[in-house]
Amino acid sequence: MKIASANVVPFPVPRVWDALLDPQVLVATIPGCERLAATGEHTYDMTVTAGVAAIKGTYAGTCALSDLEEHRSLVMRLQGAGAPGTIDATVQVRFEEAEAGSTQISYEADAVVGGMVGGVGQRMLTSVSKRMAKEFFDNVGSVIAGGGPEGAASTAPAMPGATAGEPLPGVFTAPPKAARVGSRDDFLRGIAVGAGLVLLGVVAGGIFGRRRW
Amino acid sequence: MTTKLMGTRVQRTEDQRFLRGLGRYADDVAVSPDTLHAAVLRSPHAHARILDIDVDEVLDVEGVHAVWTYDDLAGPMADALPLLIPHPALTHGRTQYALANGEVNHVGEAIAFVVADDRYVAEDAVGRIRVSYDLLPPVVGLDRARAAVDLVHEDVPGNVGARLEQNVGDAPAAIASAPHRLELDLTVERSACTPLEGRGTVARWDADLNRMQVWTSTQTSTGVRAAVAVKLELDLGQVDVITPDVGGGFGVKINHPWPEELLVPMAARALGRTVKFTEDRREHFISSAHERGQVHHVEVGFDDDGRLLGLSVDFWHDHGAYTPYGLIVPIITSTQLLGPYKPQNYRVVFESLYTNTVMVTPYRGAGRPQGCYTMERTMDAIAAYLGKDRTEVRAVNFIQPDEFPFDQGLIFQDGRELEYDSGDYPASLEKIKALIGWDDFPAYQASMAAEGRRVGLGLACYVEGTGVGPYEGAHVHVETTGKVKVATGLTTQGQGHATVFAQLVADELGVRFEDVEVVTGDTRRMPYAVGTFASRAAVMSGSAIHLAAKRTKEKALKIAADALEADPADLQIVDGVVSVKGSPGTSIDLGTLSVLSNPLRYAFDEASKAATQFSVGDPGKPPVAEGEEPGLEGRDFYSPERATFASGMHAVIVETDPLTAEITILKYAVVHDCGHLINPMIVEGQIHGGVAQGIGGALYERMVYDESGQLLNASFMDFLMPYVTEIPDGIAIDHLETPSPLNPLGIKGAGEAGVIPSAAVFASAIEDAERLDRPGMTITAMPISPSELFELRRRAVGEPAETTPEGNPA
Repeated sequence: MKIASANVVPFPVPRVWDALLDPQVLVATIPGCERLAATGEHTYDMTVTAGVAAIKGTYAGTCALSDLEEHRSLVMRLQGAGAPGTIDATVQVRFEEAEAGSTQISYEADAVVGGMVGGVGQRMLTSVSKRMAKEFFDNVGSVIAGGGPEGAASTAPAMPGATAGEPLPGVFTAPPKAARVGSRDDFLRGIAVGAGLVLLGVVAGGIFGRRRW
Repeated sequence: MTTKLMGTRVQRTEDQRFLRGLGRYADDVAVSPDTLHAAVLRSPHAHARILDIDVDEVLDVEGVHAVWTYDDLAGPMADALPLLIPHPALTHGRTQYALANGEVNHVGEAIAFVVADDRYVAEDAVGRIRVSYDLLPPVVGLDRARAAVDLVHEDVPGNVGARLEQNVGDAPAAIASAPHRLELDLTVERSACTPLEGRGTVARWDADLNRMQVWTSTQTSTGVRAAVAVKLELDLGQVDVITPDVGGGFGVKINHPWPEELLVPMAARALGRTVKFTEDRREHFISSAHERGQVHHVEVGFDDDGRLLGLSVDFWHDHGAYTPYGLIVPIITSTQLLGPYKPQNYRVVFESLYTNTVMVTPYRGAGRPQGCYTMERTMDAIAAYLGKDRTEVRAVNFIQPDEFPFDQGLIFQDGRELEYDSGDYPASLEKIKALIGWDDFPAYQASMAAEGRRVGLGLACYVEGTGVGPYEGAHVHVETTGKVKVATGLTTQGQGHATVFAQLVADELGVRFEDVEVVTGDTRRMPYAVGTFASRAAVMSGSAIHLAAKRTKEKALKIAADALEADPADLQIVDGVVSVKGSPGTSIDLGTLSVLSNPLRYAFDEASKAATQFSVGDPGKPPVAEGEEPGLEGRDFYSPERATFASGMHAVIVETDPLTAEITILKYAVVHDCGHLINPMIVEGQIHGGVAQGIGGALYERMVYDESGQLLNASFMDFLMPYVTEIPDGIAIDHLETPSPLNPLGIKGAGEAGVIPSAAVFASAIEDAERLDRPGMTITAMPISPSELFELRRRAVGEPAETTPEGNPA
């Protein structure tokens, strides 16, 4: 299936780019995102719990980025699998200045959605995914408006180095609540992960939907 | 004198159970906390290599008893599933494994099998199995299969499983020299049987008896029995297969063994527990079987009267990922396409192609709907081309009543000649014209057009080979109570076998209908049988039961003749009592004859006293005469030389909305000839059901695959099965009875007929309704939805369209 849409975040491209590449922003703003881990340059593992009622499930996924053009575009290859379904997607993401001081993020995803959700509810996935993407980008806008991730960094209890236990470099764990958290880390190309998580969330939530479906 | 029940509308005895909720289906068997339940991990991908299956997490789940993957299968269980119907042209037949062996070829293919305390735990456990895949390019749809850029099976070049050509005369030459020629390209999409009860299997291994008992929702008990015995390395005599009530089959349950039909008994034996598998709806959509998907190219040559001079058909059959049922469906299309016509010269070629989709096995009609659609679209096209009435063109091509038996010169699905035994197609045509009001329709169409309404009339004719071999058998046993127990081996999916078979026994044996009890599909009662498919149960088992009842009667009369000291020829049996004709006082009932038939040493009750050695028998003869057996029973088999050919014609009047393209059925008429009717009510029920299923296939149902091989409408939320609201209120039915000379009852099959002409008749009617506004618009792809009709109209815009309100059908 193909999903293409665009959303506007009311901040300039560099700020949006930075925010979206910040994994802690993403961990905190994407519902159900529990964990991100860098496995190599531009490759990540992630874990998402998402879905509603009978098709709720935990998804294990990987994400690989390519063709990064700073403040302009990137390509994300995403694979994920959980009990309710699988996804294999390539997402083209473009950043453009919309009206003065705001950023249009447009994406084109070519996704193969398999398993129960892919077979049962795929006709609804496009509209649901667009709604979820909008919600996600709106949240990102709110984070930027709330002062960016810096102030929240130390409040992220599960952040590596911020808690007891064995910190793992490049592993980010979601805070217990959707706190507005994060720190600058250009290494993790969070936008890609975020887009992937949106799609994964769609896999889980598409059929009966996350909210009013 | 007992009234003959043959041909009467006897109420169905089984409905008492069904209507009171007392039907007993596979899932109703072994309802006990001790029964374990199975769930299957199925491939989410259409085409992939399996790199690794990790079941570690499953082993810790409380309530899980076992998990199997391919690596755990041993012996014959590790071999590919059987290719049930080999054919010389099926040069590249492939079947799946009980659990995927390193590769999956469609979404839904079984990969792992979990047995747990209940289905919930089993499904949770399935969710914890981790499979690593290497994705391969999926081949979805006939276009991609034919292009063969990617292969479903790497050792099957061009994705071609089989190519078969048959020729009668020289069609290409006849077409080339014909005064008129046409070419058509015709498509039919995939659909499926979708019985309300999906597949289900229960198995119990009795270690004390060293015996396997299997209950399964199948159309062939004996087939499953043989498969279980072979795969589990048991003697046939160690396996019982019992088919309980089946909530619909429509073809899909004739395929066997399903992986679960082997895995469940395997698990039952391994675990020493009763194991049950009941599939859910999505599983049925993605892991049973589909049918119908074909693309056809027709070239036809004909004379000024529309008489066929040569017909050449190439078609491509999408058989999905595997070919366990051989080439039955495309062979039927290629032969039954001819319907009631004699094309003089005929050439047909098909390719049966692999795709990464659910495999194809017969679905009610089994290739005939596509063949009928191809032939009847061609007839309509010839009529339109010549400006002739559609019935005239058909009539000039009919095989005439004095031409039977008529050999079409082809080989049919059973390997025998396609020789029609009997029929009267001109008489059927007259009946259908009268029933639908053919001759009055142009005036009706014009008057409706004057109101701005668009109505169309369609017609389609078919011939259906029914009652194919090899055989069926029956056993009739008269108990000492006088009750009659009848067993036949083929299975029942709601057809009313218990009623019609009892009618036949009551008539032949001379017993009361209420005293006859029929058992089907239980290998303990009748181990020799084939199965219920190809509209064969009444013809095959009906004939066998008739013959077995006849044997029982002969035996009863022989014993009675001794007891009554009368000539057997002077005896009659009425309501279970044998009497001397004209001397009603001299009589003996069948129960007593049953007692006498079994000479006893020991008495258990008053009845058996009469059969003990000091009571009966001629001291000068052995108690059981030479050549006789004890017991008042008869067993016989019926094995016809070839199929018997039923026929029929459907007509429909539809209205199409000029704005929305909504399609409404105004009138539906059926003329049906299945030889002598055993029970007209049940035949009409079969027709009603078939028409309903056909309407679904013509207007609503299809399998929507995306390009990656995901079935997008694998639920009753998205797959549009018609409700009663979509079926016309009242279907006009008329019967013609041209008896078959091939069986003692003169009957032909009726089970599939109702569904065969649906795509053809609706295409014809919708095209006719649209003709007024868009004369050149043709319907070449079925099913058709209002949206598709709307699109067709948009594409037709720009063509020269004469909108004459009084335009009549050609």
